[in-house]
Formats: sequence, structure tokens, C-alpha cells
Amino acid sequence: MTVLNTRVSLVALACALISPSLWAEDSSLTNPAISAVLNGYYQTGERPLAESPDGFGLGETELALSANIDDMFYGKVTAVVEMHDGDTELNLEEAFIQTMAMPAGFSIRGGRFLSDIGYLNNQHLHTDSFTDRPIAYRAFLGGHYFDDGVRLNYVAPTDLYWTMGVEAFKGESLRAADEHGEREFKNVGVYTLYSKVGGDIGDNSSWQAGLSYLRNENGQVTPHEAHETEDEHEAVEGHDHSHAASYTGQNTYGADFVYKWAPNGNYKYQNLSVSGEYFRVSDFTPTDLHPEDAPSKDYHQGWYLSSVYQFTPSWSAGVRYGEADTQELHDDHFHEQKLKESEVSLAWHSSHFSTVRFQYTHQNGTNFDGIEDDNIFTIQYIMSLGAHGAHQF
Amino acid sequence: MHINSNLAKVAAVALSITYTGLAHAELNVFACEPEYAALTKELAPTANIYSATTAFQDPHQVQARPSLIAKMRQADLVVCAGADLEVGWLPMLQMKSANANVRSTDQGLFFAADQIETLDKLASVDRSMGDVHAQGNPHIHFDPTRLLKVATALSAKLTQLDPAGAAAYQTSLADFTTRWQTAMPRWEAQAKGLQGKKVIAYHSSFRYLFNWIGVEQVADLEPKPGLAPTSGHLASLLARAEQGDILAIVVASYQDERGAKWLGEKANLPVVVLPMSVGGNDSSQDLFGLYDSVISLLNGVK
Repeated sequence: MTVLNTRVSLVALACALISPSLWAEDSSLTNPAISAVLNGYYQTGERPLAESPDGFGLGETELALSANIDDMFYGKVTAVVEMHDGDTELNLEEAFIQTMAMPAGFSIRGGRFLSDIGYLNNQHLHTDSFTDRPIAYRAFLGGHYFDDGVRLNYVAPTDLYWTMGVEAFKGESLRAADEHGEREFKNVGVYTLYSKVGGDIGDNSSWQAGLSYLRNENGQVTPHEAHETEDEHEAVEGHDHSHAASYTGQNTYGADFVYKWAPNGNYKYQNLSVSGEYFRVSDFTPTDLHPEDAPSKDYHQGWYLSSVYQFTPSWSAGVRYGEADTQELHDDHFHEQKLKESEVSLAWHSSHFSTVRFQYTHQNGTNFDGIEDDNIFTIQYIMSLGAHGAHQF
Repeated sequence: MHINSNLAKVAAVALSITYTGLAHAELNVFACEPEYAALTKELAPTANIYSATTAFQDPHQVQARPSLIAKMRQADLVVCAGADLEVGWLPMLQMKSANANVRSTDQGLFFAADQIETLDKLASVDRSMGDVHAQGNPHIHFDPTRLLKVATALSAKLTQLDPAGAAAYQTSLADFTTRWQTAMPRWEAQAKGLQGKKVIAYHSSFRYLFNWIGVEQVADLEPKPGLAPTSGHLASLLARAEQGDILAIVVASYQDERGAKWLGEKANLPVVVLPMSVGGNDSSQDLFGLYDSVISLLNGVK
């Protein structure tokens, strides 16, 4: 996590935003596309492993700048301003370059960027239809997984959309917890493979389905040390804010799909989207674990299913159900945990650029951060200004 | 970095040599809107043409969906309206399709709005004005003179990308130009009676059509460009309609008719749904049919 000198950088970004000559719809050499996303909320509770505490708060405030660098490269920087325990942090969520002129459908992206595994992961949080990512993302990917690394992507020259790619990352945010800082982690910790296919069904519907695999060299849980007391354990957990994943393992398998429908394929007035993802994280138990301490299941898993219906240009409603089924190391043995989240949301869109959302979440937990039967209400706004960013499917 | 880019250039050149070495292959053309698919078909009848949208889809709001990425991946030429009409989806398709041939207007990317002067360019744009285009109104295909200029430029682009087909493109352009120039005075004569008439319409979709045939759009069903009609705004339009000088309420084939119908009933005005593009109704099978259809539909309410 890069924490820059907040004051100086904010001033620099603010100057860039104020300069009137930079306001433009199109990006070009003299006019990079600049956009900001404003995001604030009030909520009555906190979802576990999420980044938004209860009460009033600011979600991710994004400042993004992108343009073609030359005829070969495209570049983008996305800075995210976040508040944590009264501190303002400026983090870089994206700072990447991408090739634009490689032949035969190949492209390379390097720097810091969102991994292309799963359906939601490569999308920005402000495009989501719910306040927080599904529990599976919060548990296994730290909400959304971005990292420093490189990607090679290929798009096949077929009428059925078919893309595949391979990525290598530093993997710091997906490292297993290491309370004493004694573990030697690998510098290149994460490798991913993914493939997606998609197409249309008539004029009205479109779909995409994907499979992904994430190898995490540093995902195996650090063995428990006998002299460690419970107090120390708790103390370390308490202040650990980051985008780090809470449950890691050496191998993660994912499957995802999305289906969208609009009458005549005209998305302006009504449209429906249905999406779902499943993740299974395995090979996390320490090598020297006694067989009698082995967890009841040797994998974590999580999934969600969500559907959003936009019934007029100004209103949309969504439902989402998600589960996470995890094993947590406590002293020298594993505890089984489970969290179920049922959510409904209603959003009002004054235009394409502003959303006000009401969301209700019901959480049902077993052995999960003390959650048993919780209700959370959230009211949130998400608004974007500046360049009109193109959205992904 | 330099070595890499040179390598990529060499590879690209090598690939293009391989392609041109093959027998004269038909161009794969990706059109953002059906009117440009139709225009390309006039100018390159044997090309493989794919239209990303239909006349029933609002081109402002198109999903950068997988099928479009797959089609753009294979395209030799991408033909779009431009003037930021496709700004919400075209850049994403270009990024995801990894097709270097269609990224730049120097190569296989063609914007119709670049070839002509658009109407209603704005010196400064503010989002409080709605979803407006600083580069002017992009719905230019209902201006026959402008469209002919676009056709000439598009034909030159086809020749640039496929020099072996130059003669054929020249012939097709000459043929299209003749037929178009014959049709223009006919359409103008047919639309004579519409001159000076006032309409209420949805968005500025028919800005060029009205400009050409002399119809005046006195009010817009949208309170601001891109925003759907609200009840308050419709009430103010009703007050305007009661002045009694409105011929009709005009909506495009991809626009919601509910607001127009409500106003039509209250103000006792006919509602005309015009095809926004080729394929927008049964008689609009090509550009000529489209023009015939919109003029006859407007004449029908006189």
C-alpha cells in the first residue's frame, strides 16, 4: 500500500483538476481525460471485512487521469482518497501502462492495476450496484484485488468473444498473516490465469462467463507459535486496515457469469442484469499441522448471486445474496465460520452521473466476528464529474 | 522501450504485407450505428458489415458487450458518428479488442462528424446542461448534403485501406452520388408543405432533418439532454402546446413513447414515431427508404 505525502499530492491533483484547459470530453495529448468520483454515506452498522465503518463516512473518492501516451501506449492513474481512523490516506489504485499496438490481439499491461480474475474484480467500486463488495470478495481478495505486476492478454479473432490472459503480481496484499514479521515471503507471490467467453442471444440479451485460477505462493497460513498468547493475537488484528485478504490459500479457483437483458437491447429505459461468482480457496493449512488439528473442511468457499433491474431511467432496484464459508486458525486449530448476507438496494439516478442509494443488509453469522443476526441500513451517494468514462460490460 | 516499439512496428508491417499478399479479401467493417452500416453497404457492397446497434437502441447508452469486442477485434474499419456520441462505449471496445488497426483515424477508424461542420457546437459545456456534446449534434445522417460529404470521405477511407478495390469503390460512390442527388430534390419537393411547421420532439435527434426541411422544433420532451421526460416538464409542454400552433409530437424509434402519448392525448396532437435509422420500420431498408419514410410519415399528419 502506497501512502503518499497526502497534503502535497492532493494539492497537485486539485491544481490539475482546476486548470480549465484540461476540461474536455475527449482525451488527447493536451487533454487527458480527468474524472473524479465523490462517494459518501451514512450507515447503521459495519459489514465485516468491508472498508466502510458505521456512521457518516466517505467511501472511495477517486481521481483518475488517463490518455494515450503515444501511438504505442495508453496510461492511466487512479488515486483513491480514503479515510481511516481519522487519517486521510492517498492510495494509488491504478498506475499502469498498456500496449495499444501489439499485433494479433495481444496486449500487455504493466504497473499497478486491477486483476482480471472474476467478473467484478476489474471494475471500479463506484460502478457497483451495492455499497460493499460481496463477502466472498472481501474475504478472499481484500474487496478488490489490485497489485503491482504485469499482464499478457489475448483476444481470439472469433465471433464468439474469447479472451484469455496470464498475470504475475507482487502479491503483498494476498500474503498470509505474519504476526511476527519472521516469514520469508516470495517477491513475486501471485500468478493468475483467466479466460472469458461471451456473446449475444438475439437483440435483447448478452452474456459472459469466465473461469479463473489464482496461485498464491504466500497464501499458506503461517504456523501458530506455541508461546504466543491470545492477547497478542488480538492486538495485532485490531489495527490492520488495508486491502489485504483475510483468508488466503495457495490455490484459488473461480467461476463467474453475467447476463444482461434490455427490451430490444435498448438499455436507456429498462434493463436487467444477473451475475454470480463462486470462489474456492484451498491449500491453506500449515505444513506442520498435526492431523488431529486439521480443519473440518480443507477449503474456504464463497459465492454470491445478484440481480439489478433498472425499471425507469431514474430508478433501479437490486437484490443480492452471498455466503462465505471459512476456516480460521485459532491457537493451533481451526474454527469453522460462516456468514450469510442478504441485501436489497434501491437507487435513484438523477442523471447518468449521479446515484443516491438506499441499501438494507441482513447478516446471519456463525462464529463470524460475533455476528449472529444483524441488520444494516445504508444511504449513500456516488457521483462522478469530469470525463465520461466508458463502462465495462 | 524503443526496441520494443520498433519490433512491434516491424511485426505489424510484416503482418500487413502478409495480408495484402493474399487474394483481394473483403474488408470487415464495424459500424457503430445502422445508418453507417447502410452507407458502407452503398459504397462497398461486398464488404462484411456489422452494425453494433439497431434503430431501436439509443446509441448514447450501449453496453461494451462481449460480442462487440469480438467483432471489433476482427474489424479492418470502424465507422461511427463521432462527436462523442459513442464516448460511453467505443473507447472501452477499442481498449478491450486489442486491434491496433482501428484505433486511429489515420488508419481504420472513421468518424462521420469529422468530415463536416456539426450544428450546435458549444464553446463551453457544463453537466448542469445535461448530457450535451461540446462537439456539436452527432445525429448528422438526416442531412443529405452532409451525408454525401461523409460518403465521399468514407469512400476515400475504403480506398486507403484496400487500394486493390479502388476502382470498385469509385464506381459505387459515383453510382450512390447520382442516385442521392436525384433523390434530394424529390424529397425536398415532398417536404415542401412541412416548411415552417412547428413540432415538439424528443431530444435533438432530428436536428438535421428539421434544419433541412425547415421544420421548427419549439420544445423538447427532455427537460435536459439525456434526461427522461418528467411530469413537471410535460405539464409545461402542455401549456406550450395549447397555444395551438404545433403540428405534431415527434419521437425516434428508440425513444420511450409514454411521455409523448400523454402529451398527445392531453393536447390532442398526433404522435409520430420516426425511424431513427435504417431498420427502424419496415419501409426503411436502406438510406433512401429511410428518407422516404420519415418524410411520408411527417406528411401523413398534415
